[in-house]
Amino acid sequence: MRRIGIDVGGTFTDVVLLDAGSGEVWSLKVPTTPHDPTQGAMHGLTTILERSGCAAGTIDFVGHGTTIATNMVIEGKGALTALVTTAGFRDILELRRGWRHDRADLYDLFFEAPRQLVPRRLRREITERVLYDGTVDGTVAAAEIDSCVAELKRDGVEAIAVCLINSPINGDNEREALRLIREQAGDAFVTGSIEVNPEIMEYERTCTTVVNATLGPRCGQYARRFTASAREAGLRGEVYFMQSNGGMASPEIVADRPVALLESGPAGGVTAAARLCERLGIANALTGDMGGTSFDVSLIRDGQPELRNTTMINTYTVRAPNIDIISIGAGGGSIAWIDEGGGVRIGPQSAGADPGPACYGRGGTRPTVTDCNLVLGHVDAENFLGGDFRLDAAAARRAIEEHLALPLGVSVEEAALAVRQIANALMAQAMRLATVERGYDPRDFIYIPYGGAGPVHAVDLARELEIPTVVLPPMPGLFSAFGMLVADMVQDLQASLVANADEADPERVEALFAELEADARARMGDRTEAITIERRADCCYLGQGETIQIAFPAGEIGPGTMAALADAFVAEHRRRWNFDLTGRPVRVVNLRLRATAKIGEFAAGKATPRQGETLEPIGRGRIFEAGKWTEMPRYRRSDLRQGDELSGPLIVEEISTRISLRAGETLRVGKDATIIVTVGHA
Amino acid sequence: MDKISYEIIRNGLYAIAREMKVAMMQTAGSPIIHSGGDASAAIFDAKMQLVAQGNDIPTMMGSAVISTKASVEAIGVENLRPGDVIISNDVYLGGGNHQPDVQLTRPVFFEGEIIAYTMTRGHWVDIGGTAPGSFTAVTWDIHAEGIRIPPVILYRDDKPVEDLFRLIVQNTRDVDNRTLDINAQYAGTYVGGERIIAMAKKFGAAALASAMAQALDYSERLMRAQVERIPDGVYEGSDFIEPVQAPGWPTELIPVKVKITVAGDRIVFDYTGSSRQVRGGVNCPFSVTCNSTWFTLKAITDHTIPINQGCYRPVEIICPEGTVLNCTYPASVVGGVTETSPRIIDMLLKTLSQAVPQRVVAQSNDAACSGIFSGEDPDQGRVRSLRRKNVQHIDPHAGGYGARPMRDGVNAIRVLVGNAGIQSIELIENMVPLRVESWHLVPDSGGAGRWRGGLTSERLYTVGYDEATLSVIAERGIVAPDGLFGGLAGGTFKSVVERSDGNRVAVPSKGEYLVVHRGDRVSIRPAAGGGYGDPLEREAERVLDDVRDGYVSAEVAASLYGVVIDAAGTGIDRAATDKRRRAMRDGVLRQAG
Repeated sequence: MRRIGIDVGGTFTDVVLLDAGSGEVWSLKVPTTPHDPTQGAMHGLTTILERSGCAAGTIDFVGHGTTIATNMVIEGKGALTALVTTAGFRDILELRRGWRHDRADLYDLFFEAPRQLVPRRLRREITERVLYDGTVDGTVAAAEIDSCVAELKRDGVEAIAVCLINSPINGDNEREALRLIREQAGDAFVTGSIEVNPEIMEYERTCTTVVNATLGPRCGQYARRFTASAREAGLRGEVYFMQSNGGMASPEIVADRPVALLESGPAGGVTAAARLCERLGIANALTGDMGGTSFDVSLIRDGQPELRNTTMINTYTVRAPNIDIISIGAGGGSIAWIDEGGGVRIGPQSAGADPGPACYGRGGTRPTVTDCNLVLGHVDAENFLGGDFRLDAAAARRAIEEHLALPLGVSVEEAALAVRQIANALMAQAMRLATVERGYDPRDFIYIPYGGAGPVHAVDLARELEIPTVVLPPMPGLFSAFGMLVADMVQDLQASLVANADEADPERVEALFAELEADARARMGDRTEAITIERRADCCYLGQGETIQIAFPAGEIGPGTMAALADAFVAEHRRRWNFDLTGRPVRVVNLRLRATAKIGEFAAGKATPRQGETLEPIGRGRIFEAGKWTEMPRYRRSDLRQGDELSGPLIVEEISTRISLRAGETLRVGKDATIIVTVGHA
Repeated sequence: MDKISYEIIRNGLYAIAREMKVAMMQTAGSPIIHSGGDASAAIFDAKMQLVAQGNDIPTMMGSAVISTKASVEAIGVENLRPGDVIISNDVYLGGGNHQPDVQLTRPVFFEGEIIAYTMTRGHWVDIGGTAPGSFTAVTWDIHAEGIRIPPVILYRDDKPVEDLFRLIVQNTRDVDNRTLDINAQYAGTYVGGERIIAMAKKFGAAALASAMAQALDYSERLMRAQVERIPDGVYEGSDFIEPVQAPGWPTELIPVKVKITVAGDRIVFDYTGSSRQVRGGVNCPFSVTCNSTWFTLKAITDHTIPINQGCYRPVEIICPEGTVLNCTYPASVVGGVTETSPRIIDMLLKTLSQAVPQRVVAQSNDAACSGIFSGEDPDQGRVRSLRRKNVQHIDPHAGGYGARPMRDGVNAIRVLVGNAGIQSIELIENMVPLRVESWHLVPDSGGAGRWRGGLTSERLYTVGYDEATLSVIAERGIVAPDGLFGGLAGGTFKSVVERSDGNRVAVPSKGEYLVVHRGDRVSIRPAAGGGYGDPLEREAERVLDDVRDGYVSAEVAASLYGVVIDAAGTGIDRAATDKRRRAMRDGVLRQAG
């Protein structure tokens, strides 16, 4: 079995090829081609085939993650989209919920109104109405829809989103409207709210559906083009796309529901980490992905990445299951500066990939986190990206001196250290958000760092949060692409219930789940792998507006099941909030079903045992800490063998990154080419 | 203390405040809190100074500076024990902003000492008083506005004091939801307290206290640097607030005045000369006037300064007691914080436009503009399922935001110190006997200008209750939001009840509650934003875009902007536009000459 994982990021496209038979792994980075990402991806694909000597026809599987959807939303480059909605409600998309903290700091008088996803002239109303109890108080009129679609086509609309009031309660009108629109729409991408997010609360559902529509034409085109190009290049294996929920889906499914691609890239890394946990028998892990512009934290509990059902992207609310990622603007390229009060601040401005940090020597003059790490000895100037790319340490020093050290009246090293420590504090705060603030103790977790800059800060962060163990995964610089190799196929579906647990009809619940399951299986195609089904429900105390997701007990659903579900909710509610409401009914709002087909496979290359040769450092390195330089040996990661044990202080370096240990800390090389660090006290 | 520990503590306190609010929204029973977010959380140091708050409703935060101190001092620091939680709402006994905003305050103990206080404040949809929903301004005195809760201890040893708990919730019209809301606010103070204790364990109480003190000094330093940049001088302004509108009540507009003196890094706001306090719930307690002032300063300087009480140290506020902006017992106050306060801010912004024209906004809707329905649910199935017979519903409506230099006003959004969200239509219909017929932007409502004022929205309901009360409370039904530098005023508040027999009743901005019946149609529309700059200076292309999107009609494009749209409605008639704009400019010049 040979697999290729491709992760198209904002700057680089990462590619990994794994030969499960021989255990050999190849990897590379090529520049992303934003005007046509297929080019960069195909360039990476053909290059890795060349380097590995594998024929295209021998590849069984290509897993693909992409930021194309995210970038389209952020840059406002989606399709020209229309919205068709119930008479009286075309402005819902613009009115939102009337409040402003979804788009502004509350003390900012000058915030910009977000760009309208659909200009008002393309928001059309049709006469129809479904009431809150599902009664149809007016059906859709075919003639009205025909003329509406004709006008939209004349306006050159590429996509049409349909969202009618109360459609999650009774979808008949919306289904009929969709049918009529699809008959007339020709090439336009048509998507309905009951297909994308059948859940009440009209703004959130409309926005999700509209985002899906704006992404539809280009994402569909991309999925088809990429697949066709891969076929042309001789690939005959299966092609899958990574979804925000950490599961793979076929190009056809993704073309229908591109909204599921919004967290495609980051989901790859978290999924890889979850799979690593499974291999190593780790239940709870925190993951930290530090790239050029951001630091992304996720939580894995009981082996599963934490999911959330709502996310906000560029002020737009999207309700689709995605891996819960806390992202802060502290990456290697984030710029450090001094504010008027004399405080050192980091970001949100980033030097990005171009010009990049000052040490890239491409014209950047402001000091970044990477520049500071370079000056402090945490990044190697000679060996960045395997030596393909030499860093300019003098430029880094100049930037730090001018913008930080001189104004602060300290040495360059001290200024750099202040920046590194503040960056650490910000990142630690994000890690606390993911743990402490949800009632979890970080000391019960291990820390898995990746991304080019992740390992560089990893041991400091673990010390700060008193996390006892850091597990450095294989290929940390390409870990998201690696995730595309190991992920399973997943479909998440939902249905609205809205009933008290003790009054819900168990047969109806069972029937709803059966419907969801049939739909999920259909979306998976004719898989030969066993499909596992998980059933969950969003629950709250009657009257509450927010829900907690609770797993259904195994087995057929009867009155006992519903009672057990309610009890599980009460226990989880108490754990989080320290109070019960005795006698208050538990309300079940949404049913959620997850279908998983096990297609992923973990392999991290062949472990070559040590053959009697001794492990030698490749040289010395020095790191500035607590006011002084400490000399230490420097090891190359590829020289390490499973079972090796080393004591700090030391540095381990590899192509894209570096990790350092203090005196008293130790590392051991574990299975699957992992490095397991026992962390000391802060 | 080292810089790093300081940064960790300072950032950590803000994160804790945010988490406290999340705890409240996750557990509350009232839609206005769990899905409207009408709640706030903050952390105070041992000296009861506000050191951190979430990205929360500003109107609740500034006044908390006064109410938290008042709550603690009423009980006496020496009488507080671990696990105590104080409740209070009263504006005169507890420094509150108005009676429906109820505060819970928890002393946070570490090694036997109080190291901080956590507080949560939530808007209770009903707190008793003369009108269901506790939100009519036609109130003779404070007693008509609901139960007065002076600072008293509601939780001892983290357990509710049952008698008191019952006394309070039974004085509201929705016992179940109030029970949930109190628990939610309790959960917020509890979660915050736990996090602060964990921080103290890690860094030590002394480090925590020192970090808090440094954080206050730091924000003060940043704010003083900003005040320095405002040109020194004395700036004066005035405006009129709308009175309650009910038969037999005084009808005069209520004058307010301000004199702002900027000298170096200090700024003084003197409200002397504003009206005596008046009958009706439009008066502001001092805490609300302070908050209006503080908000304005933060907003016209640098909104990114980490917010805490240090920001307010450069400010002096002078306001004689017994006036509409510093009222005394028994003046009623319910609309002071929601309607009067933003009007004061608009007055301040207009006054400051003399000093910092690029840092101010044209006037806005301002009002919280709430409509509250209250009555029995006729849907028996729902009554059984939701376990309640009486159902109250509050919608805070979104009006237009004033235009800014270089930017149009924002359409239909909560502005300035308010930020409660309006309810989802599907959620309303699911829970309440109301049908929402439409919710849309109101074309031409935004004040014309080089930069256009934000449009307002209008929501139209059909009543499904057999019989219910409707309270509407708003501002700017009489005094329109003004434009700046040649921009025109935005449209005013408007609300109508159309009876099922076709009779139409105009609802005033601060009238008595009405009784509505099944089939009545109720529309509510707040005011819109004023324009900024001369409308004749607006690029014709922007006007065309507005016309194509239906924000502005072709008629108004011609009459106010001088832009003539072609017959197809898709292009500009250049020649006609040039001619029309020239003529309009000449007209203006002649008038001015």
